[in-house]
Amino acid sequence: MFKKKSTPALNTAASYLSAVSEADARARAHGSTPSSTPALSLSSSVTSSSEDTVLHEHDEDNAHGLTYPKNPPTSEQIFTTVHTEFGHCANEQYRFTSQHSTDHPIASVLEQDPPYYILLTTYISYILVIAFGHLRDFLGKRFKRAAYRHLLDDNGYAALNSDFDSFYTRRLKLRIDDCFSAPVYGVPGRTIQLLDRYSPDYNKTMVLTGNRTRALNISSYNYLGFAQSTGACTDADVEGIKRYGVSSCGSRLEGGTLDLHVQAEALVARFMGMEDALISSMGFATNSTIIPALVGKGCLVISDELNHASIRVGVRMSGANVRMFKHNNMDSLEKLLREVISQGQPKTHRPWKKILIIVEGLYSMEGTIVKLPAILELKKKYKFYLFVDEAHSVGAMGPHGRGICDYYGINPRDVDVLMGTFTKSFGAAGGYIAGSKALIDRLRIAGYSGAYAEAVAPPVVTQILASMASIMGINSTVEKQVAAPSRSLLRSYDNAPAPIVEFEAYPGRAPATALPPWMPLPQSMCDCSDSQMRLRRLAFNARYLNRALRKLGFITYGHDDSPVVPLLLFNPGKMAVFSRLMRTRATPIVIVVVAYPATPLVTSRVRFCLSASHTKDDIDTVLEACDEIGDLLDLKQAVGERWPLKEIVARAVELVNMPEVA
Amino acid sequence: MSATSTSLEPLFSFLSDSYSTLETTFYKIPGSAVIARYVKSSHRNDPGRTVLEIILIIFAIRTLLQSRTRADNSGKHFIAFDEREIDELVDEWVPEPLAVPLSQREQTELDNMPIISGPTGPKPKLTNGKTVVNMASYNFTGLAGNEAIKESSIEALQKYGLGSCGPPGFYGTQDVHMKLEEDIADFLGTEAAIIYSQGFSTISSVIPAFCKRGDIIVADRGVNFAIQKGLQMSRSTIRWYDHNDMKSLELVLETIEKDRRKKKGPLTRRFIVSEGIFDHDGSMSDLPKLVELKHKYKYRLILDESVSFGSVGRTGRGLTELYNVPASQVDMLVGSLANGLTACGGFCAGTDVVVKHQRINGTSFVFSAAMPPLLSVAASDGISILRSTPSILSNLQDNVHAVRAILDKVDCMTVPSHPASPMIHVHVRLPSPTHLLPVASPNPSPHKHSNPTSPIPKDPEQFDEELEERILQEIVDEALAQGVMITRAKRLKGLELTKVRPAIRLAISAALSKKDCEKAANVVKAAFIKVVSKRR
Repeated sequence: MFKKKSTPALNTAASYLSAVSEADARARAHGSTPSSTPALSLSSSVTSSSEDTVLHEHDEDNAHGLTYPKNPPTSEQIFTTVHTEFGHCANEQYRFTSQHSTDHPIASVLEQDPPYYILLTTYISYILVIAFGHLRDFLGKRFKRAAYRHLLDDNGYAALNSDFDSFYTRRLKLRIDDCFSAPVYGVPGRTIQLLDRYSPDYNKTMVLTGNRTRALNISSYNYLGFAQSTGACTDADVEGIKRYGVSSCGSRLEGGTLDLHVQAEALVARFMGMEDALISSMGFATNSTIIPALVGKGCLVISDELNHASIRVGVRMSGANVRMFKHNNMDSLEKLLREVISQGQPKTHRPWKKILIIVEGLYSMEGTIVKLPAILELKKKYKFYLFVDEAHSVGAMGPHGRGICDYYGINPRDVDVLMGTFTKSFGAAGGYIAGSKALIDRLRIAGYSGAYAEAVAPPVVTQILASMASIMGINSTVEKQVAAPSRSLLRSYDNAPAPIVEFEAYPGRAPATALPPWMPLPQSMCDCSDSQMRLRRLAFNARYLNRALRKLGFITYGHDDSPVVPLLLFNPGKMAVFSRLMRTRATPIVIVVVAYPATPLVTSRVRFCLSASHTKDDIDTVLEACDEIGDLLDLKQAVGERWPLKEIVARAVELVNMPEVA
Repeated sequence: MSATSTSLEPLFSFLSDSYSTLETTFYKIPGSAVIARYVKSSHRNDPGRTVLEIILIIFAIRTLLQSRTRADNSGKHFIAFDEREIDELVDEWVPEPLAVPLSQREQTELDNMPIISGPTGPKPKLTNGKTVVNMASYNFTGLAGNEAIKESSIEALQKYGLGSCGPPGFYGTQDVHMKLEEDIADFLGTEAAIIYSQGFSTISSVIPAFCKRGDIIVADRGVNFAIQKGLQMSRSTIRWYDHNDMKSLELVLETIEKDRRKKKGPLTRRFIVSEGIFDHDGSMSDLPKLVELKHKYKYRLILDESVSFGSVGRTGRGLTELYNVPASQVDMLVGSLANGLTACGGFCAGTDVVVKHQRINGTSFVFSAAMPPLLSVAASDGISILRSTPSILSNLQDNVHAVRAILDKVDCMTVPSHPASPMIHVHVRLPSPTHLLPVASPNPSPHKHSNPTSPIPKDPEQFDEELEERILQEIVDEALAQGVMITRAKRLKGLELTKVRPAIRLAISAALSKKDCEKAANVVKAAFIKVVSKRR
């Protein structure tokens, strides 16, 4: 994202600092009202003042150390991103490639158990809060009827939520509600602004104070850092809104199909290396409304026990039978397969019409990566169909960002259905399904979303097109033709490698003709330099945080290359403390804590979501915070070799490049 | 004898040793003495209880250890095979193809579907270069392409970026989302509102959030597919009343009430589920009557206003405004932001308790990413435009009247939609439909009512689905050739609970002039007459 320019505007660190103070003065003059700084379209015009690039956030001081990089850029470096959205990191050493190394078998990551006293205290704390909760309910219903009205039968109406169903929410979650659903302001990039709030009544209601706090954001699904308010994708979106407005008005089959949709579907298919693809306006609904079109009565779905709620909803809507296998456990899967195929349908023993295995590429609560090669091995023998939900892995995994198949170097066409979302890596919204042309055409008609759900909004499609094209790189050597978009774009890539057609084999670049002719295509987007930087920075960050936390002695789950890093807390009380301590540090950090029912009861955890927009300094900040809080909360329970924080920070590059960590 | 006892000696000593170590370690645990004393005294008082408790503990441990993915091989239907037999069975098994390829007709229809090139609106350009009058897309209020909305969307884009990058619970809630929720609540006059990121997934998540197994739902037979899915997910007991028939509703409510009194069961949650303007045919609910019945029988009302919000009422507030019923009388008022406000997503408005409950229990709220902030801004803007410009809705009504004035007089079509509905369904009426009708059912039972446990009414409408669909598609193609884009109402055949009569669905927009509307309606009329008379 940074560009080298022969006549840099900021020659020295001194001039940089003077620029900082100037901006500071400007900020004081403006007060805190956001002034009318024009949007920066730097990627298209490198000549814009780079001073403003660095100092976009003119309304803030830098007390939290998030607004400006720790080390001012040298004379060689010009960054085109806003540091608070997408951090400045020029060190080429802080890069890595996310790729499965074939020398090492896919080892199951050892999930360490904590010492028994931790488990014991965890259970005791749950018992305590549950007991207290019931006691309070018991007394409250008798002495404070007014406050419990919605839980009691009232005037002939049954209670809207039974007190039993809502017990967990009221008595456990409410206690730490300040750690959830925090409202925010601005781009969910490298940093985010929290709207400060307090509760006058023990979290029953939250009152906004009107102030904002900028915090390091290690929670948003922003793997490739496309959550930006400036840059090539935003320029494209602005142009898109100007041309298309914000809505396509209606469902795809009832007059809501725009040329943009057709182009995006063709590009998604090419990106995934599949024949065809369809897009839908909501990621959750992609699963819940498309799975019922794949399977029905007489079919069996075999689902990983930790699959996402959207998959469960979809399977339940379909009316198919469902069986689960142990998370990522191939033996359990094979045993189950042998049983279900030999037994056939329950009672009747008729053979199953079809068996669909649904797995996720990257599990968002565990950070584990599916053992795809092993499943494909089983697929040869057991003839099931395979559906891979790449909600978190697409974009985030693989040397070309094409997801889990790319990571393993597997031909994506070995998988029957590839599903994913645009929310996470592409900074957009909605989801896609990619597969063979016959399959996708069937789903266009038989999926619920085609007939009933609104089509993807044009600005969102533009973002999908721009971010995806920038990950792929664009082949603009051929004269950009104003090609009428047509379904012929959906032709598969391996059909016609004729010299005139500028198709590149998967995972190749996108031809410029696949994009709308009005879309601005800056150089950094075409030549992959921007996307390679993003992919490689994300891979470095993921590996660094994963390994560093382990070296510090924390129990974490998941694969080293996973950009989702769960850190185990166990005790429910520690969730609140951890979250609050992180949030109130000198450099505030926002994190996500998750507990039952999203995870098993005992394994409450913190979940970090890394992004390409984080710099190494940011990861160091997080590590430092975790180190301190970890000591305070007695979290460092893992066995294995430990390094002190200083050594980890100093030897980061070495740590990341090690083939295996003991 | 002595030989065996001596050989067992080490075993006994080992056992007694380990028992004593166990005992001492047990007593080392703080508080263990209390437990031991309790167990001893309980055993002394009632030895039978000890046995019972031990059995209980064993049972509990067994249940805990049973894995969730336990194989189903204990059942009486399980057949034991050896490995070789399983291998053979695996080899023999041939699965059906994952997807049935499209039929010729389906493929042609999909390929010929009009694609809009450039922005949509009242008169979009298609990819074949033709500019058409758009009577297919939901753009009732004509806000699509509104310059003010575009401007504020761009502003929002430059403030928030495009995606929200997370579910509402995990830093996905932006201030503009909260503002939109306030705007909706304020616009409708409810305590609060909650936004979902897709219209279709709103109601199908709202219903199962409140209705659980054992609850009673009384639903209209003509509810849309999203509601049907919500009902399916809820696993509640569902009773059906005849489409838009308040007498039938009252009868069903009365029957349930009688049943309840007879059984004297505990009080369960009870809901009436209906639509404002029905997506299936454009007819309209009698809201005052619904509210009256709901109060009388103490039900909660879930009303889906996906079509009616932003399309009827003086300023587009929907049925509550049209009938002058306070929105607070509807317990869960669900609407779409995509249809009425040409943004995206859906909402549910109601009391604070209702909304808060969904923030934890609304599946597609909790597990889905929040709506892109710029679309929330677009929706908020849409609301303020509707508030300040009542002429939009009066223009829309004028257009609807103009179109209805033409369509209502055509012989070969029937219009089941309400006269005020901007979504107009048109059925084809064939000149001699008698040959399609089966002979009247052998036992005509005019006094019997429809069975409330089945979604299928007593005497369902008879029609030839295939034939009507084909005719309607021809009409759609003909109208398109004449420069008017309309669409068949697309439905998933076989998945809808009842057979829905094929229809052409017109969506009237306030952005069209009255003249254009009349012209387009005449084109539709001519297309109907042309295609139907060709078949004669």
